[in-house]
Amino acid sequence: MEYTRRFTEKLSVEQMKIELLHTAYGNGHTFLAKLDPRTLFLWYAFFGIVPWFLHETRILLGMLGFMIVTTVIARVSPLIIFILCLGLLGQGGYLLVISLFFGGDFSAMLPLLKLTAKLSVISLASITVFCSMNPDKLSNGLLKIGVPGQVSFSIAYGYRMLPTLLEEYHHVFQSFRLRGKAPEKRGILYWRTIYYFIQIAMRSFYPLLLSTAKRARTTVEALETKGSKYGFNHTKVKELKLASLRMQGMDYGFLIGSAIYVASLFIIF
Amino acid sequence: MQDVTKQRYKLTQSQKMMVFILSMSLYGLSNMITELVPSAYLGPIEFSIEYFAFIPLTLCILFHPLYAAIGASLGEVIFGEIMLGQFGGFGELEKFIAFSLAMYVAGTYVRDPKNLRQVGIAAMLGVSIHQAISVMVDMLKVWVGVEELEAVPGLAESVVVVEGFAFVNDLLFSGILFALLPTIYLVPRLYGKIEPLLGMKPRTRDDHFSLTEIIGARVIAGGIFLAGAAFLFEFLSESGINIIDWEADFVENYGQWVIWLSLGIAGLIALISILVMTKNKSKATGMTNEKRNVS
Repeated sequence: MEYTRRFTEKLSVEQMKIELLHTAYGNGHTFLAKLDPRTLFLWYAFFGIVPWFLHETRILLGMLGFMIVTTVIARVSPLIIFILCLGLLGQGGYLLVISLFFGGDFSAMLPLLKLTAKLSVISLASITVFCSMNPDKLSNGLLKIGVPGQVSFSIAYGYRMLPTLLEEYHHVFQSFRLRGKAPEKRGILYWRTIYYFIQIAMRSFYPLLLSTAKRARTTVEALETKGSKYGFNHTKVKELKLASLRMQGMDYGFLIGSAIYVASLFIIF
Repeated sequence: MQDVTKQRYKLTQSQKMMVFILSMSLYGLSNMITELVPSAYLGPIEFSIEYFAFIPLTLCILFHPLYAAIGASLGEVIFGEIMLGQFGGFGELEKFIAFSLAMYVAGTYVRDPKNLRQVGIAAMLGVSIHQAISVMVDMLKVWVGVEELEAVPGLAESVVVVEGFAFVNDLLFSGILFALLPTIYLVPRLYGKIEPLLGMKPRTRDDHFSLTEIIGARVIAGGIFLAGAAFLFEFLSESGINIIDWEADFVENYGQWVIWLSLGIAGLIALISILVMTKNKSKATGMTNEKRNVS
């Protein structure tokens, strides 16, 4: 009982906001966070794509082990791990129920489990990489690999603003609840209550749309005063901005180490 | 010639960026919310909030559809998927294209945002295009035999039934509840109010989008190429050569406990992360308090 209570507390919006901020800015001291963004992109390009083409379970398991280690090193927020597990469990359980329903047996689970292992490798790789970069670094990295300035800025901006937006959404939602009247009867299967909450959840986007529009304009105007449009389109400015990105020994070491590990997996199995 | 009254709806570079940012951050936020809301199961049938499609729909109707659509898709991929570790590899590419296309078509369909009938039709149109594309891709995968469904009794039929049901469910349940009704509610209320906040004039009946201007031959070719590539990659990744023999062996040798073992491990990890979360709570709040003080 104690745990459920604390767990629901943990899932509060405030906590989520904190976890998101933590994901964005809290991991600056880890080993992976010190690497160059390009290293991380390269690493993710490998571990995000290659597992799709692998069918040898032992290699996949070896990779999964490696991913778990990097996830631990990156100090990924438990909330994100929890969402991930929920997704994987839900998917597996759902398909199991379906195939049992249509007369299959448990052997149906095996290909599904292999798919789950594949998905876990890819998901963990993306979590590791994403949690190791703060918005500035992500934006610079994207700019460096040739993403247009507007897009890379917008991504970094969204990354930074999400926790704030979430908080604002929560405030609007709560004020709707305060002023509104919850249904007196719950209805069959709580449908009245569910309907009520869904309605509020959608109505809350109305004020949020307006305030976000205002915020977007302020941001873009601020960018303009800083001459960003010039910066996005001129290589000299870009060079100056990205001068701090440098591939160091650590980066090469990490990439070579990963490559050796993967190669040895292929050789052993 | 006839274009004296029919002006092109033009935006400056910064206005495009505003629309893009607005659409991306809001749809990313809503994706995060839908990701967290649990879905209800009725037997093997799932009732869930698939997505808050009304946000990109509303924005596509009120602003330039192209930038709103691409912004929303990008927001979904980045904040709803990569950041939460739900990224599905190349399959996402197909989703990205399908969603952008559906929202864009819905946005261009509406000539007059004050006309509720047009808005309603556009909302349903957007959802059905998106769902139809994704169901077709899924069915096609089964048809071509991409996934090893033949090996598993009962799964092939179930996929078709489930896909068909998911389509109807998404169209009627998500489509009406999360696209049609909120879009009809929001568009007239926001029309004329939100545009000045971004420093632009509201869309009028006379504005029109030239399809050829935006979707040139290069974009179409690129889209087809990317969709083909996405499908090819999925095909390659799903079609193993030696899966079937090996599977049978595996079950004989190790039995079904392997399955339960792996399910148990997943459950265990979930449990541990719950424990870690409850344990870390005081620490986390302490840290953020410090951060606040510093900033």
